[in-house]
Amino acid sequence: METLPMAATGHDMSIWGLFWQAGWVVKLVMIGLLAASVWTWAIVVDKVVSYNRMRAALNRFEQTFWSGQSLEELYRNLSDKNAVGMGAIFVAAMREWKKSFEKGARTPLGLQNRIDKAMDLALTREMERLESRLSFLATVGSAAPFIGLFGTVVGIMTSFQAIAGSSSTNLAVVAPGIAEALLATAIGLLAAIPAVIAYNKLSTDASKLSSRMEGFSDEFSAILSRQIDEKVVQRAAA
Amino acid sequence: MKAGLTTSVVLHAAALGFGLLTLSAPAPLDAGSQESFPVDIVPMAEFAESVQGDKEAPVSETPAPVPTTRPEVMAEAQNVGDNDADLSTPQSEKPATREVEQAAAPPPSPDPTPTPAEAPEPAPEPTPEPTPAPEPTPAPEPTPAPEPAPAPEPTPAPEPAVEPEPAPQPAPQAEALPLPTSAPAPQMRPQPEPKPVETAKVEEKPKEPAKKPEEAKKPEKPKETAAASKPKSEEKTFDADEVAALLNKAASQGGGAKRSTETASLGGRKTTGAKLSQSEEGALRDQLASCWSLPAGAEGAEGLRTSVSFRLDPSGQLDGEPVVSSSSGNSAFDRSAVRAVQICNRQGLKVPASKSEVWASGVVVNFDPSEMF
Repeated sequence: METLPMAATGHDMSIWGLFWQAGWVVKLVMIGLLAASVWTWAIVVDKVVSYNRMRAALNRFEQTFWSGQSLEELYRNLSDKNAVGMGAIFVAAMREWKKSFEKGARTPLGLQNRIDKAMDLALTREMERLESRLSFLATVGSAAPFIGLFGTVVGIMTSFQAIAGSSSTNLAVVAPGIAEALLATAIGLLAAIPAVIAYNKLSTDASKLSSRMEGFSDEFSAILSRQIDEKVVQRAAA
Repeated sequence: MKAGLTTSVVLHAAALGFGLLTLSAPAPLDAGSQESFPVDIVPMAEFAESVQGDKEAPVSETPAPVPTTRPEVMAEAQNVGDNDADLSTPQSEKPATREVEQAAAPPPSPDPTPTPAEAPEPAPEPTPEPTPAPEPTPAPEPTPAPEPAPAPEPTPAPEPAVEPEPAPQPAPQAEALPLPTSAPAPQMRPQPEPKPVETAKVEEKPKEPAKKPEEAKKPEKPKETAAASKPKSEEKTFDADEVAALLNKAASQGGGAKRSTETASLGGRKTTGAKLSQSEEGALRDQLASCWSLPAGAEGAEGLRTSVSFRLDPSGQLDGEPVVSSSSGNSAFDRSAVRAVQICNRQGLKVPASKSEVWASGVVVNFDPSEMF
């Protein structure tokens, strides 16, 4: 039998061949989507690692905090190194406490307020660090399929223009162009699906961590408030 | 972040490399192994049209009907066949010859023959003879006159021997007069079986001897009766039998009068589904165009177009009224087209008679000023 016309035209149907034969718009779209996919996975890897590290740090801190160790000692240990998570909140609160009592003879009236503010600030900073770049995942997850579709539409348009030019409706003429164009949608989906899944997972993890830290900050705030009240009573007695 | 980025890049590179290696050009579909079917476009006309020929003959370039056996009769005949008249019906084989029964009744003939033969011998028995004579009378034949005469005649021949008996004879004769309807006529005919004329002569011969011995009155009667019987019998022979015979000889056979000498080619019994050739169409259009005059002052007549259908009988005369099958929207224009056909018909349309089938089934002519003028 004769060789098929499709084989005779010499279209390279491998992935690389499809990419190389595509138009420049489609190529640009595909390169962009590939870059987005690379960056998505970089974020995912980075976040998974950092969340694990954060979870371990929280566990370690809670253990030491509730072990009955002196808060002064704990503060001295943590203030030396760059504390993260609850440690950072604790350090911020203790710093504010120290500042207020080192000068001495100050009314502790505004102390509670100041400590709460400092802890809130520290918490917000920690949360910012945790949730940074997660929005990129969300963007890729929602926009990548559309970008891929755009590449496909442009590719099919050019392929139909080629059909009109060759005035042949043979499937062998139509197929390569459509295959090229569909590759763009494939890459778009390839980038979008992991991004969506990772975004959902990571945002849930981040909210869990933040709730843990908020809980600690409330608890610590309550402890400090008790201490302040005791000091006030002592002063009044003295 | 650096760690994450590098891992991501490494992962992508690995995935792409794996994809390039494994997802290289998919195996092309093995569509080449399918057999291709040659497709011919066969026009319906090939089945609807046939030319007169022989069903078993091979195909030849020029269609030809079965060769005819009889020499040329009509020079201008259109339909091929062995017939004298140019009929358009297909040729059929001669009907097998068959026995044709004539109106003459053979059974009565044997009966009378013996009686006359016996009659002369028994002289004394004349009296019984008249009695058998009346028996055959039931035969519906209306020739009574001669019958009584023969009946007595045979009797008289023997009578001379016995003279005293004549007296009783007149009685039977008298009786015979009222019996004119008797069947003796057939009795006499059978003797000379072939022709009644001869029988009459034979009758006379025996009568002559009879007259001599007998009275003049008796022979006179028979003569008259014989004379009367002759013309009657002749009339009989000329009417029914002869006409029937003539009718039988005319073989009812189809076919035309045109003679064919070529070897037959593949074809049907009759030429069917004929179409007008380009030149025939052109000839018809030219004739109609010459008869056609556009309605005066018809605005935009160039763009008008109407179709008129009409039929012609085999003689080329218009069969029924021409009908506008597709109107132009301008009634005056349509009427002019119909009038053109009628005018041409009055002048005599010259159409090939061999395509009478086409004319009979109807022709549609498009009247378009831009094409016909």
